[in-house]
Amino acid sequence: MGSAAPEAPARTARPAAGAAAASPGIHIESLSVDYGAQAVIEALDLDIERGSFFTLLGPSGCGKTTLLRTIAGFVPARGGRIRFGERDVTALPPHLRDIGMVFQDYALFPDKTVFDNVAYGLRARRVDAAGVRRRVGEALERVGLAALAARLPAALSGGQRQRVALARALVIQPQVLLMDEPLSNLDAKLRLQVRQTIAELQAEAGITTVFVTHDQDEALALSHRIGVMNRGRLEQVGTPAEIYRRPATGYVADFVGAANLLPVTLARAAAAGETAQAVLAGGPGGAPTRLAALAVAALGAGEALLMARPETLRLAHADADAGAGAGAAALPVRVLRRQFLGDKTSYRVQLASGAELQVDRHGAGHDAHQVGDAALLAFDPTATLVLAR
Amino acid sequence: MNDAGAAAPAPARSGVPGPALRRASLLRSLRTPWPWLTLAVLALLVVFLLLPLVQVLVGSFGSGGRSGWAIVAAEPRYLQAVLNTVMLGAVVTLLALVIGVPLAWFTARFDFPGKGLIAVLPLVTLVVPEVIAAQTWLMMVGNNGLLTRALAERGIELPSFYGWTGLVTVMTFTYYTYVYIGTLAAIRGFDVQLEEAAQSLGTSPAVSRWKVMLPVVLPAVLASALLVFTLAVGNFAVAMVLSNKVPLLSVLTYQATVSEVGSDPTLQSTLATISVAIVMLALFAQRRVVARGRREVVQGRGAVPARLAGWRGAALGAAAALVVAVSLLPVASIAVGAFTQARGPVMRWGQWTTAHLERVFTRAIDPLLNTLTYAAIATAIGITLAVIVSYLVVKKRNALTPALDYLTALPLALSGTVIGIGLLMTFNTGWLSLTGTGSIIVLAYVVRRLPFGTRNASSTLFNIPDSIEEASISLGVPPGRSFVRVVLPLMAPAIVAAAVLTWTTTVAELSASIIVYSGGRETMPIQIFRLIDSGLMAQASAYGLLLVAVIVLPIVLATRLTRIDLFASRA
Repeated sequence: MGSAAPEAPARTARPAAGAAAASPGIHIESLSVDYGAQAVIEALDLDIERGSFFTLLGPSGCGKTTLLRTIAGFVPARGGRIRFGERDVTALPPHLRDIGMVFQDYALFPDKTVFDNVAYGLRARRVDAAGVRRRVGEALERVGLAALAARLPAALSGGQRQRVALARALVIQPQVLLMDEPLSNLDAKLRLQVRQTIAELQAEAGITTVFVTHDQDEALALSHRIGVMNRGRLEQVGTPAEIYRRPATGYVADFVGAANLLPVTLARAAAAGETAQAVLAGGPGGAPTRLAALAVAALGAGEALLMARPETLRLAHADADAGAGAGAAALPVRVLRRQFLGDKTSYRVQLASGAELQVDRHGAGHDAHQVGDAALLAFDPTATLVLAR
Repeated sequence: MNDAGAAAPAPARSGVPGPALRRASLLRSLRTPWPWLTLAVLALLVVFLLLPLVQVLVGSFGSGGRSGWAIVAAEPRYLQAVLNTVMLGAVVTLLALVIGVPLAWFTARFDFPGKGLIAVLPLVTLVVPEVIAAQTWLMMVGNNGLLTRALAERGIELPSFYGWTGLVTVMTFTYYTYVYIGTLAAIRGFDVQLEEAAQSLGTSPAVSRWKVMLPVVLPAVLASALLVFTLAVGNFAVAMVLSNKVPLLSVLTYQATVSEVGSDPTLQSTLATISVAIVMLALFAQRRVVARGRREVVQGRGAVPARLAGWRGAALGAAAALVVAVSLLPVASIAVGAFTQARGPVMRWGQWTTAHLERVFTRAIDPLLNTLTYAAIATAIGITLAVIVSYLVVKKRNALTPALDYLTALPLALSGTVIGIGLLMTFNTGWLSLTGTGSIIVLAYVVRRLPFGTRNASSTLFNIPDSIEEASISLGVPPGRSFVRVVLPLMAPAIVAAAVLTWTTTVAELSASIIVYSGGRETMPIQIFRLIDSGLMAQASAYGLLLVAVIVLPIVLATRLTRIDLFASRA
C-alpha cells in the first residue's frame, strides 16, 4: 500500500521492497550555482554511484552545503544538469524530487510528537492510517526509539532527535538521502553512536546517500567515496583510502589527516604513478638531499611539494647506523617537542634547513627520543608523495 | 547551461557576476509568489501610509495662497507651542528615566519585600488608556477632585493641576513603564560574566559596572527614552485634557483640524509637519549616540538577584509600592467614579449609584458597539498584514523587503494626530472617498497599530529556523502548504499575543480616530473624551470602566487559556 506514492506522476514504477535496487545514482554535469549574485559553484561534474554513501568534505564556506542544497532543490542551479538515475531533476522544485533530508539542527517539528514527525511525509503522500502506523512503527523500531513515539522533540536528547530525523527522512523511502552535517551538533560520544546508526541504516536500505561534513573522521569512517571540496571545486574524489594515502593535492593532504608538506624541486618530469627523485634542501651539512617519492599525478620538472604522513616517518638515534632501510636517505634532525600519547609518541622535529615536521612513532620504544636529542629521519619511499605545488 | 554560450565570447569564470547572471537570478525569483506579494503589500502601505504622510508634508506649503510656514512664523503662539512641546517631551523623558531605570535595576538585581507588585507594571500601561489616566488624576486632584476637596476642608490649598504640573505628572506616570520594561530586558540579557571579568581584572564593582554594563545597556535605555519622547510629544489625550493655558503642538494641530470656523488644511499640515520633524530629529540624535557605542552581547549567564533585607529592603519595597500604587490609581478611581452619584460635573463622593452604567447599556450603547466592531475588524486586518509582512521580511528577503520593514515601523514615529490628518486629507474626496464612513476609522487603527503586530510576529519568526520549513518541503509538501502546516502553528502563540496587544491598544486609540470619525461613529475613548470635556466625570468613568474591561478581558483569556507570555517579545 505504501508503495503507491501517488504524488510524482513522472516517476516510473519501482519495487516497494528491496529499496537497494530502486535507489538511483546521482549524476551532476557542469553544474553552476550562484548564491545571491555570487558564483559559488562553477562547472562541477560528479557521479555518485547508486546505493553508495558519498561524502562531501571540506571547510566551512567551501560550497559543500550549497552543492547539497542544489541537489535537494532549495538552491536553484544557474547552469548544468542534475539527474537522479535517468530522471532530470534540475528544474524540479524540492517537494517533487523525492528526497529524504536530514538537517544539522534536526529540524523536527517542535509541536508534533515523535510519531507525528515521522508520519508527516507519509500523510503528505496520502498513505492510509494503518499503513502510517505500521511504517512509522517499523521506522522507529529501526532507530531504537519505538518507546518514545508519544514524546515531543523537546523531551528528547540530541542523539535521539537526530535518530527521529533520520527515521522521518527514510520512512518515505526517498530516492536519495541528503544529510547536511547531521552529527555536528552532537557531543563526541553521541556522534559515534549516531554515526553507527547512519552507517547501518544506509547499508540496510541501500539508499544513495550524500553526506556533508567538515569532519574528516566521519568522512573516512562512513563513506564509500569522498569528494573533497575547496572554493566551490572538487579537489579530489576517491575512496577513503585513496584520499588518505594518495591525496591529489597539497590541500587534500593537509585537510584529511595530518600531513608534512615540504617544498622540493624535481630534476625532471614524472609520469603518474612513477617514483620521482625529489630534491630537498637541508640534508646533512645543509646540502640538498635526494628523496624517492611517488608522483600521484603527472608532474613537470621544477617546484613541487613533498608529502609524508607523520606515521610513515621513522626516527633513529643519531649514533645508530643510519639508513638501515633499503637505501632510504636519512636526514639529521633535532627533537623540538614531544607528546606522549600512550599508544604512540608524537614528535616535532626540525631539519637543518629550519623546516619542521611531525613524526608519530608506534610500537615498542616509541617514546625513546628526548627533547633536544639529535636524530636521523627516514622517509618511506612508498608512502611519500610528490604533489604539484 | 545555455546562457553562457549565447552571452559573451569569453564567459566570466571569475566569480564576479556579470549582468547576465544577475538578470537570470532575478528572473528565477520572479517565478515565486514572494516578490509579487511584497509588491502588493508595499503598494498598500504606499497608498494608505506614505501617501497620507506626503499629503501632510506637501500641504504645509499651502495651495496658492499663504504658506503654513508664514502663518506659524508670524504668530508667536505657535512658536511658543513648539518650544513647550519639546520642553514637555524632554522633561517627561528625563523623569521617566529617573523612575524607570533605577526601578529596573533594583528589580533585576535585588530581591526585596513586595517585588512581585512590580511585575504588574507592564500590564498597567496596557490597561489604562491615556485619556482615562488624565481623567482619573483630575478626579483625584483636579479643581473638584476628591483629594483637593478633602485637603481644602483641612485648609490645605493644592496648586492647580491644570498646566505644567498635571501634564508632567500624568505623562511621567503613564510612560515610565516603557523605560522600565526596556531597561529591564537589557539588564536581564546582560552577561554577568562580562562584569565579573572586569572585576577579576582589578576594577572595583562600582567602576566595572559603570564601565562594562553602561555601554551595553545604554542603547536599550536610549531606545525607550526615544519612545517616551515620541509619545510625550505626540500625546493628544493628556495634553487636551490638562494643557489649559499652556499651548501645545498636538492641541493646536487638533484645533486647527476640527475648528468650527472651517478647518485650515494648510495650518494643520504645517503643525503636523513640525511634530514629525521633532520626532525625526530625536530619532536621528538617538541613532547617532547608539551608533557610536554599538556593542554585541552574546546571551550569557544572567545575574542572580541579591537579597536585600532590613531597612534597605523595606525602603526599596516601600518606594516600589508607592510607584505601583500611583500607577494603579487610575483603575481604582475609575471604579469608584463609575458608581458615584453626580449632578452635572459635581461628584457626590460617598454616595453610590449604578445609574451611569445603566445609562450606558440602555440609552448610549453605540460607542461600545462601535469600538468593538471597528477594533475587531482592524485587529483582524492588522494581524493578517503583520504575519504576511514579517514572513516576507524575515523569511523571504528580496530587494524590496527592507522598504517594507521600514514602512511598517514608520507609524511608531508618527503621532495619531498626524496619521489622522493625513488620512483625512488623502481620503476626504477623490478616487477613494472614505470620510464619514467607519472604514476610515478602521484604517486609522490598522495604520497606527501595524508596528505592534509586525514586531511581535517578526521576533517569533526569527526563532523558527528555515530548516523546519525545508524539512517539510523535502518530505513532499509544497512550500505554501508547508508554511500553513508547519510554520503557522509555531507562530500561533505569537499571533495570539500580537492580536491581544493590537486589540488592547486599538480599543483605547483616541488621537487618530477623533480626527477621522464622524457623528454617530463615536468610539468609547472619543465618548470619554467628550464627556470629560463637558466635565461629566461620572459618566466618563462608566465608559472608562467598560473600556478597561474590554481591554482586560482578552488579556486574561489569552494568558489563562494559552499560557502565553504577552511581554516575551515586547520592548
